[in-house]
Amino acid sequence: MNAADATEAPSPATQPRADTHALPRRWLSRLGRSLLQFALLTLAGLLLGGIVHIVTVFRIPALATHDAATAYAALGMNGRAELVTPPPAGLPAILDGDPNSVAAVCSYDLAAGPLRVVARTGSLPLGLTVHRRGGGVAYAITDRAAIRGVLEFVVMTQEQLDERLANDEDGETSRELRVVSPSLQGLVVARVVVRRAFDRSEAETLATGVACGLAD
Amino acid sequence: MRVLSLIYVIALGAGLGLASARYAVADRPWFGRAQIGAWTTWPKSGARDIDPYMRAYLARGAHLPLGAGEGLELIAEKDDTGRSLDARCRYVVSGTTPPARGWSIRAVNPASRPFQLAVERESFTDAEIVRSERGGMRIVAAATPEAGNWLPLPADGRFELRLRLYDTPIASHAGELRPDTLPRITRVDCR
Repeated sequence: MNAADATEAPSPATQPRADTHALPRRWLSRLGRSLLQFALLTLAGLLLGGIVHIVTVFRIPALATHDAATAYAALGMNGRAELVTPPPAGLPAILDGDPNSVAAVCSYDLAAGPLRVVARTGSLPLGLTVHRRGGGVAYAITDRAAIRGVLEFVVMTQEQLDERLANDEDGETSRELRVVSPSLQGLVVARVVVRRAFDRSEAETLATGVACGLAD
Repeated sequence: MRVLSLIYVIALGAGLGLASARYAVADRPWFGRAQIGAWTTWPKSGARDIDPYMRAYLARGAHLPLGAGEGLELIAEKDDTGRSLDARCRYVVSGTTPPARGWSIRAVNPASRPFQLAVERESFTDAEIVRSERGGMRIVAAATPEAGNWLPLPADGRFELRLRLYDTPIASHAGELRPDTLPRITRVDCR
C-alpha cells in the first residue's frame, strides 16, 4: 500500500462517524424541502383564495335571489306601482327602510320593450329611482324635475336606446327623458317622504299613483 | 402526494376566498365610506358607479337605497368623542343639518331594526321637532322621558342613529362635508 492509497481509503475507525453526521443532514435537508414545498403550496392557496374572493364578490349580484328586484318581481305588473311599506303578505320588508317614507314599486322586464314611467307630483317630496336587478341604483330623479306637475321618463336597454335614436327624425329633438337600465329586469321605486304622521295617506296615494307601462 | 397537495391548495383557496367574501359583504363595506365627525356615509351606494362590495352587500337582501340624486343616509355608531352609543346614557343631538328638502332621524339597534318600545316614537322629521327660538334642533335620546324632542331608547344595549337627508345637494360631495355641518352627538350622562 502506497501513501496515496492511505489517504483515499477511509479508515474503519472514521466510517461510522461519517454516517452519524450524514443521517441528520439528510433529514434536515428533507425537512427543509418539505417546509419549502408547504410554503409554496400555501402561497398558491392564498393566491387562489384571492381569485375566489374577487370572483365571488363580483358574482353575488348576478346570483342573488333575495335582492329587492327579485323579491318584488311580481309587483306593479298591472301598470300601477304597488306599496311595499308595509310589504304584501309573504314578501320581505325593505331592509334599512325609513318609517318616515312610503315606497311603491313597479317591477319591469325590458325584454318586452321600453317602460314608460309617469308620476304626478304633490305637496310631499317624491323621488323616483330605477334599481337594477342584483342591487344598485341606475337612475334617480326627484319631483323638482317635474314639468307642470308631471314627472315622466322611459326606461330602456342600450340596444333599445340605439334603436330609438336611429328612428328619431333627423334634426328633431326628442322630448322624452330616456334612462338606460344596465339590466333587463329591475324595479322602479317611488318614494314619498312622510313629514308628519297625518301625511301618510296622501304619501301612499302619491306613491301608488305612479304609472308604469310599455312605452310603445 | 401530488393529489394531496392539490387538495390542500384548492381547499385553502376556496375556503379562504369564500369565507373572506362572505365576511366582506355581510355588512356595509369599509370601501367607499366617508367619515364626517361621528357620522358615516357611503356616497356611492345610490350611484351608478357603485363599488362591487357595496353592490354585493345590497344584493344580499331587499335593500332599496336612496338614489344619489334622491338623498343621503348617514349612520352614527359613536358619539362625537368616539365612544360607542349606549342606551344606558343620555345623548343630545344638536346643531344644524345640511340643506335638504326634508330629513328624518331615528334610533335603531345594531342589526338596523327599530326598537320595540312602549312609546310610539321611533323617529323625528324636520317638520315634527320643536325648535328653539334660534331655529336650531335639539333632540334628546334617552331611555327615560325628557322634555322637548325625546327619542326613546331601550333600557340598555348598543344603538345607532340614522339621519336621512332627502333631496339634498350635498349627496354628490358628501365626503367633503365638514363635521360642523352635521348634527353633533353629545353624551350627557350615564346610569
